[in-house]
Amino acid sequence: MPGPILPSEGFNFVGGRKTGGVTIKSGSDIEELIARVVLRDRQAFLDIYDATSAKLFGVCLRILKDRTMAEDALQDIYVKIWRNASSYRPGKYSPMTWLIAIARNHSIDIIRASPPVTEELEEAYDLSSVDPDPEANAVLSGEMRRVDECMDELEGQKADAVRAAYMEGFSYQELADRHSVPINTMRTWLRRSLISLRECLER
Amino acid sequence: MADENENEPEREILAAEYAVGVLDLAERVRVRRMIAEDAEFAELVSKWEDRLAPLDAGTAPVAPPVSVRSTVAARLFGETQNSGWWHSLGLWRPLALAAIALLAVSGLFNITQLTQPPQQGATLVVSLESPDSPVRFVALYQQDGQSMRGSALAGSPGEGRDFELWYVPEDGSSPLSLGVLPESGPITIDLPPDIAARFAEGATLAISVEPDGGSPTGTATGPVVAAGSAKPI
Repeated sequence: MPGPILPSEGFNFVGGRKTGGVTIKSGSDIEELIARVVLRDRQAFLDIYDATSAKLFGVCLRILKDRTMAEDALQDIYVKIWRNASSYRPGKYSPMTWLIAIARNHSIDIIRASPPVTEELEEAYDLSSVDPDPEANAVLSGEMRRVDECMDELEGQKADAVRAAYMEGFSYQELADRHSVPINTMRTWLRRSLISLRECLER
Repeated sequence: MADENENEPEREILAAEYAVGVLDLAERVRVRRMIAEDAEFAELVSKWEDRLAPLDAGTAPVAPPVSVRSTVAARLFGETQNSGWWHSLGLWRPLALAAIALLAVSGLFNITQLTQPPQQGATLVVSLESPDSPVRFVALYQQDGQSMRGSALAGSPGEGRDFELWYVPEDGSSPLSLGVLPESGPITIDLPPDIAARFAEGATLAISVEPDGGSPTGTATGPVVAAGSAKPI
């Protein structure tokens, strides 16, 4: 069993199951667990589930804004994680980034296939008012602050569009509707914003 | 600044758009095909995912209901657990027979062993492969023996790299090295006594790609390219 246990990379890995003891795992622990999942180690897979499912469920809820849909999505996401574990390349990027990308992409596919009735659901599960997790805040990394600073360099509306796209999974069309601009304008805004963001982050 | 992105390669923009999530479903499907087929493009997407990942830090974890965990476990390991690709008889039998033929020709495997009464312990076959890689390796093991005979059937570790074979303990402890494999042809693999004692039906072997000469650390460092579990022949 991988032992210790440091929060890292600005993520808070709180386990979904109360097993007693600490459930926060470091990125390198998760990386080792993924390597064992590739070797079809079921216990390692369940350990990954326990360490990361609350975070991924939070991400699913953020995008899907519906508990039942998010629960179904989470099931499919962990099945994908088991099946695609060998596509994770250790060492290069954070394993948590890889896991969250699977969760985001799956959730976004679901809303693309059947767009939600946004207003009702936002009322039912008001995510805009969910406070960021205090523990996560405590370990907010320099990277997080850096992205925030770079977002601040974008014009207000454009930063909002990038953030809404990433956080809630809005399509170009939905972003254009929200900001009352033609879709091509939104496309240009967002592309320029992303490139500016990259330049700022690489500065 | 306004025109800088005009020169930005289309692929870079597309990778960013996919990572941020604004594309429609058809475009997303197309991008995913590109990711699967084009490692360089896949790397652009990974880089964008990495750049944007700090945005997730503020999302509060929410514990899912425990039913999700048990449903996932049942879906993956429940009644259907024997239907995994490596359990498929259709898949490993032809490979095992090919390996036996190869080993018999090479003199490394005495075909009469198969017809001997089983008091010597069963013969186990491990067919190692993965849906994601071309690597195929078959190992045969006479239970109660101290060595295993194996043969690479397909796949190459690449320039300056080696395949390394691992025994994956059932208890979840770290895989144990069984040595570096030749790229082709038969090989005899000596099993340390403690592994031989544990090696039975269901035992798992895996192959990883390691630096030339094998893992420098004693644990698998490279990607696992094939795995399989032992079956009675």
